[in-house]
Amino acid sequence: MSDVPLRKRVRAKTLMLVLLCGWLFAAHLGILFQYGLDGQTASVGDALLARNAETASANAVTSVVVSYRGFDTLGEVTVLFLAATGIGLLFGARQRAGAEGAETPISDPNEMLMTGVRLLFPVLVLLGVYVVVHGHLSPGGGFQGGVIIATAFFLRMLADRTFVLNHSLIGLLEALSGSGFVLVGLLGLILLGTATFLGNFLPHPVADMGRLLSAGVIPVVYCLVGVKVGAEVAAIFGDMLERGSSHPPDAETS
Amino acid sequence: MTMPLTPVWFIALPLLLAFASPLWVRLRLLMPLLVGTPAALLALALGLLPAVRTAPLLETIVIAPPLGIHLQLDSASWLLVALINFAGVVVGAFLWLGETEPYLRERRAFILILLLIAGCNGMVLTGDLFNLYVFLEIAGVSAYALSALRRDAPALEAGLKYLIIGSVAAIFFLFAVVLIYLQTGNLSLAAVARGFSEIPGPMQMLIGLLMLIGLGIKTELFPFNFWVPDIYQGSHPAVASLYSGILVKAFLFVLFHLVFLFLADPGVAGAWLMGLGAITMLVAETVALRQEDLRRMLAYSSLGQIGLITLALGFGVESTTAGGLFHMVNHTLVKLLLFLTAAILLRSFVSARIADFAGAGRARPLAGALFVLGALAVMGLPPLSGFASKLWILKGFAEAGVFWPVALILLAALIEAGYYFRWIKVLYEPRTEVAIEPSEGRWAYLPIGVVAGLIVLLGVAPFLVDDLFIEGARSLLDRTATLVAVLGAGS
Amino acid sequence: MLSFLDEPRVLHGIYVLGSLTLFFIGLYGLLAKRHLLKILISIAVMELAVYLLFIGLATSPGETAPILSDGLQGFVGMADPVPQALTLTAIVIGLAVLGLGISLAVQYHRLTGKADVAGLTELKDV
Repeated sequence: MSDVPLRKRVRAKTLMLVLLCGWLFAAHLGILFQYGLDGQTASVGDALLARNAETASANAVTSVVVSYRGFDTLGEVTVLFLAATGIGLLFGARQRAGAEGAETPISDPNEMLMTGVRLLFPVLVLLGVYVVVHGHLSPGGGFQGGVIIATAFFLRMLADRTFVLNHSLIGLLEALSGSGFVLVGLLGLILLGTATFLGNFLPHPVADMGRLLSAGVIPVVYCLVGVKVGAEVAAIFGDMLERGSSHPPDAETS
Repeated sequence: MTMPLTPVWFIALPLLLAFASPLWVRLRLLMPLLVGTPAALLALALGLLPAVRTAPLLETIVIAPPLGIHLQLDSASWLLVALINFAGVVVGAFLWLGETEPYLRERRAFILILLLIAGCNGMVLTGDLFNLYVFLEIAGVSAYALSALRRDAPALEAGLKYLIIGSVAAIFFLFAVVLIYLQTGNLSLAAVARGFSEIPGPMQMLIGLLMLIGLGIKTELFPFNFWVPDIYQGSHPAVASLYSGILVKAFLFVLFHLVFLFLADPGVAGAWLMGLGAITMLVAETVALRQEDLRRMLAYSSLGQIGLITLALGFGVESTTAGGLFHMVNHTLVKLLLFLTAAILLRSFVSARIADFAGAGRARPLAGALFVLGALAVMGLPPLSGFASKLWILKGFAEAGVFWPVALILLAALIEAGYYFRWIKVLYEPRTEVAIEPSEGRWAYLPIGVVAGLIVLLGVAPFLVDDLFIEGARSLLDRTATLVAVLGAGS
Repeated sequence: MLSFLDEPRVLHGIYVLGSLTLFFIGLYGLLAKRHLLKILISIAVMELAVYLLFIGLATSPGETAPILSDGLQGFVGMADPVPQALTLTAIVIGLAVLGLGISLAVQYHRLTGKADVAGLTELKDV
């Protein structure tokens, strides 16, 4: 056993925190066990599920994410955009900080990694694109597919030291897909008779349900989301990985 | 093909312009748009005012409530939206005209400020619980990043503290949203309000406490506000003016909107909030007495005023609520004035410590005069607007026959006078060797001057806007009207 | 033999127990740990616990995924799609905030060499 006396090993503060958390845990557990176990009776989700056929999307989660609650998704994309902006801001500052010496350099990637990634890269990109465009038919969608695509580029950056993300291209993709999302929403406001933001203004006959080209505006929006998520997550990975050596300080001021 | 001018523009327009920001950099339109966007939204708000005053504007997004998300622009949320966009115009104009630090004038700051405004607009307008969480995060994340914008150690520390505290608050709020959905099966605020009384008592209590922790942190109420001065101190004063001026106001509105909408009898919750507000006010004002740093002093003063507003709104009577809304507007104006003046003073006088400010008012007479004006307005001296709104609140309490808040508010005003006069005295201390730097950015005084003019105008002629606040208070308090408007008469 | 697990109350009880345990482990970490990254991880754990609770309690045994495939004909007997959609949204938001937080922490460490919340003392009452 260690020589540290018991008094020091079990500190009063820790004990108090354990007791506090335990007490809160018991209180929550009591309330939820008593009232929360029956599941729901009737919820908004059930009503939406019953009406889901009108969107002609075979995946009800997708029609909720992109159509019924598409406004949330727009907000969520915005949060991701904000985080990517913030991270770009922080890591763009490294040159100024000048404390690079403390960083341990990553060792060069080995042959296994390089060959493996060379094989995996096209497959991953293809899988990501598949997941994005089939978002309204099968599990998956813009977020999942976008992250898969970003992962492909992340692996590429790990395996190939010379591979550098084209930041201006990524910025362009971000801007285009993001404003595209808002514009599609505004088109719904302008073109539809009911004039709702993000309304489905493209034809979406129910008979087409299950085909790749169906559900009107839903796959369009999900593709835009896929591009945006892919670009942003890749930019985040890139910012975190590049360690200030490869991409020039951004000289964008007004 | 028409372009319907509906409330969704308050969110869609800043989002669109922020996403397309690389284009504005290329066209050299960044700064004009930073001012132009909130200005356009303010104009839209003014254009919608006649319609709002007759009936609340409801806008369905994709599918009608209670199934989907809707935006609701009623007299109360109109006040907040107009206030938020006005503050956006003022701060944007200050950044544009005032030759401020370059990091506040580049693309990223543009994105963050626009999205902060969009997030606040969304929080105030949305009629859906989960959508509220999303906008809360938009406003939150842009605020975290804005704090860290300067990228030196104090700014990063402020950003980190803000992020940690803010995400904990968001988790508690999300937990409450999840429990509400599991219990009622609804997310639309009105539908939740209709079913809220059927939730078993202990569960209601749990949901209420989780909400209180989540929103209490965000609205900077007493036990949850120890972190606020650090954030205000670490951020640029112009950014801090946005936090104090619009972010907290939006959260306060959300808190009371939820309380008055969900609870058929908001008495108990209101009493709790009044208590928290009173403690917040007294503690913050007392601590502000011994602050040596200008930004911290302003932060504590802001907390004190927020406590006062909470106290007034929590009472739930029409006159105090209208007074509270009026004071909300006044406090935003005053804090814009004070923080922006502080930004000007801080630029000329490197440090924010009280000792370094000796004679600053003599070296910068205009900034000094504006600071004094703001300080007098906070204390509530006639004929400034702070007097009108405080009088309204006090009258409301007196008419209801409740006198302890009156005593506390007067006491707080006394303490406030104590520390503001201390600063004013230092500001005008005779000092010979004041180094007067070449004063650049004279135009920065323009937006501040506009705010100062409004403060005087609202103080001299509060009757111009009385009706707006009374209507706002009515629509905030009238739960049945909202339920009928959203869900139809059958509910 | 394990058919009692198909009882909704039993299954939901297990979910409640598990996710609440996770939540309060996160809360304990948040309050007790002092390393910035550990605090951020605790926040992530708390978030995940809330998602787990939501998905777990909103689905009853026997419901299928709300996707029309494999010969399913109508949208009946399916799980509620709204909690899944909301959780998807919340996960992405949580990821974004966590990413920003970690970047801030890393950057702060680079600048000052500190990674302890107790060391965040640049801004304080004087």
